[in-house]
Amino acid sequence: MSSLVLGLLLAAAPDPDAILRRADKAVLGDAATYVLRMTVVRPGKSDRVVEMKGWKKGDDLGLVRYISPARERGTAYLRRGENTWLFLPSAEKVVRVGAKQNFGGGDFSNADIFRLSLVKDYIPTLVGEEAIEGQACYKLDLKAKDRSIAYDRVVYWVRTDGTFFPAHADYHTVSGKRLKWLKAAEVAPLGGRTRPTLLTMESAVEKGSRTLLRFLSIQDDARIDDRLFTPSALERGE
Amino acid sequence: MRPRLALSGIALSLVAAVPAPSSGSPREVEFGLENSSYPTALTPLNRQNALGLDDPEDLLRVTAAWKENIGGLRVVIRGYVQRDLGAGGATTWTARQAYLQYGWGSTLQVRLGKQRIAWGSGFAWNPTNRLEPPKNAFNTSLEQEGSLAARLDWIPSSRAGVILIATRAEAAGGDLPLETTSPPRTSGSGRLRVLIKDTDLALVVTAGKNQRTLVGFDAARDVGAQITAHAEGAFYRGAELAPPRNGQTFFRVAAGLLRNRDTTSLSLEYFYNGEGYGDAATRAYLRGLDILYGGATDPSLPPSAREEALSRYLAGVSVPYSGGLGLRRHYLQASWVRSEMRGKWSLSAQGLFALSDGGLALTPGVSFAPRGNVTLQLDGILLLGPAGSEYRLAPVRGALQSRVKVLF
Repeated sequence: MSSLVLGLLLAAAPDPDAILRRADKAVLGDAATYVLRMTVVRPGKSDRVVEMKGWKKGDDLGLVRYISPARERGTAYLRRGENTWLFLPSAEKVVRVGAKQNFGGGDFSNADIFRLSLVKDYIPTLVGEEAIEGQACYKLDLKAKDRSIAYDRVVYWVRTDGTFFPAHADYHTVSGKRLKWLKAAEVAPLGGRTRPTLLTMESAVEKGSRTLLRFLSIQDDARIDDRLFTPSALERGE
Repeated sequence: MRPRLALSGIALSLVAAVPAPSSGSPREVEFGLENSSYPTALTPLNRQNALGLDDPEDLLRVTAAWKENIGGLRVVIRGYVQRDLGAGGATTWTARQAYLQYGWGSTLQVRLGKQRIAWGSGFAWNPTNRLEPPKNAFNTSLEQEGSLAARLDWIPSSRAGVILIATRAEAAGGDLPLETTSPPRTSGSGRLRVLIKDTDLALVVTAGKNQRTLVGFDAARDVGAQITAHAEGAFYRGAELAPPRNGQTFFRVAAGLLRNRDTTSLSLEYFYNGEGYGDAATRAYLRGLDILYGGATDPSLPPSAREEALSRYLAGVSVPYSGGLGLRRHYLQASWVRSEMRGKWSLSAQGLFALSDGGLALTPGVSFAPRGNVTLQLDGILLLGPAGSEYRLAPVRGALQSRVKVLF
């Protein structure tokens, strides 16, 4: 009898893979275009504000082009699977860059920005439920599938209210040290549906350093040709 | 012959208050000032100032650029008006780029006009790209001039791209302190680029008039989360540097690493130029220049013979600069760039080490962006090394370059 109850309880427990898969699509759809503003905050320095246009398709393809400030306009990052390229308009050159490189001098890494698929990169374990700023959340422990993944461990909180909106994430090194944390906030209608519109990554290493990504527009279910996500297309600029 | 280079200190405070640019505009307009000052030197490549250089050589440029996107059509014009501030001051204008581009979705694109080719994974050297005017050997970070070209980009699949191009490229680099005498190169080239197992691979074939037929390769991949590696090489028959050595096959390769961490980039690149001169060939080259200059100044020779000798001497002097790849065989480039220090500053330093002779071209630079659309940049170029090394043979001792750029 007790084993039956246990079996029923296990069957009712949410599937961590399913939670993660839903959370992956909660901010941006499977194929999406968007415009976002990145603000890099450093104590004692003036804020750096960059606006960019992005394209995302599936779990493997991402492209971001800077549209302002003018001196950085045209700079672009392309992610294709494990590969990341940077287009430098002043040199009209495409160079490969590593996935762990900080994106645009902020606290997000290239991998965070393109965060194409946590499901693909991590093995999730549901460790319980916790409230984040008064909102009930699933607490997931994500273990990187291999050493090439940007972070060895991520603790991830995803809302339990059926929206599967990500609420918070802590990023850890292999030694267990917390590097930085992410907060998803300002849930609001954008691009035809409600979603978090502000992502803030804060450094645990440099006190007061943080980077804000604010989505200004989003179009889900966009028709995007795979060939947009090639170094050759990147080379041509926009 | 007048030198084509130069500059000296501009007041960097010329930047007036300008309106912030509108984001995402299909039109981009840019204005700037560039000033370079090159202290000149009397060396075996400039005996008794045979090149007629001022000291310093000073150039002032007003630059302008316009880019417009109208649907799939793009128009780009970038150029400058240059005033030689020296004794023989002349005013000239040059289009660095002027082209039309049209794209059909993500699949096909055509570009016609003067344009940069800029292919190859190499940073300081691109052995597979012999389609553009040579780079300034003393400052590889300068904005380069393009070549007249018709280019077709075709992306048949998401893992492959093909570029076909026909070009006519001047042999003289627009920023060199002396004219080069090589004739323009007319070339046809094809480049196939594929992505195989997270490695960028490219094959290049180039042939043409005044152009060695070249078969090249290019490979780049990640070697860790923060480091990428590349190798770009080419085989060709017959030398580009004198003597022609027509029956001989030569190989060039640039291979290096790039490490990005936070806001700091480090790169290291080795360049092997198979046809570059060894010590004996360098001595023979310099001895030849001495003999020619001796002839040019020998009062016992008739004037026509002296003129002929001077002309050949001047042609010989341009040899290290006519190919844009240097005179010797082994080089190393190291660069360090740190951006966003104190929010608006970036610092950089680049060193080109001529391993064959101990020469060093050091380029420290600083740039400041007081506003989102204004950049001020100051670069120095120091040519160091033993007397007789390639960089110390140069007819300039270094340079100071300042630039102001305002974008709208």
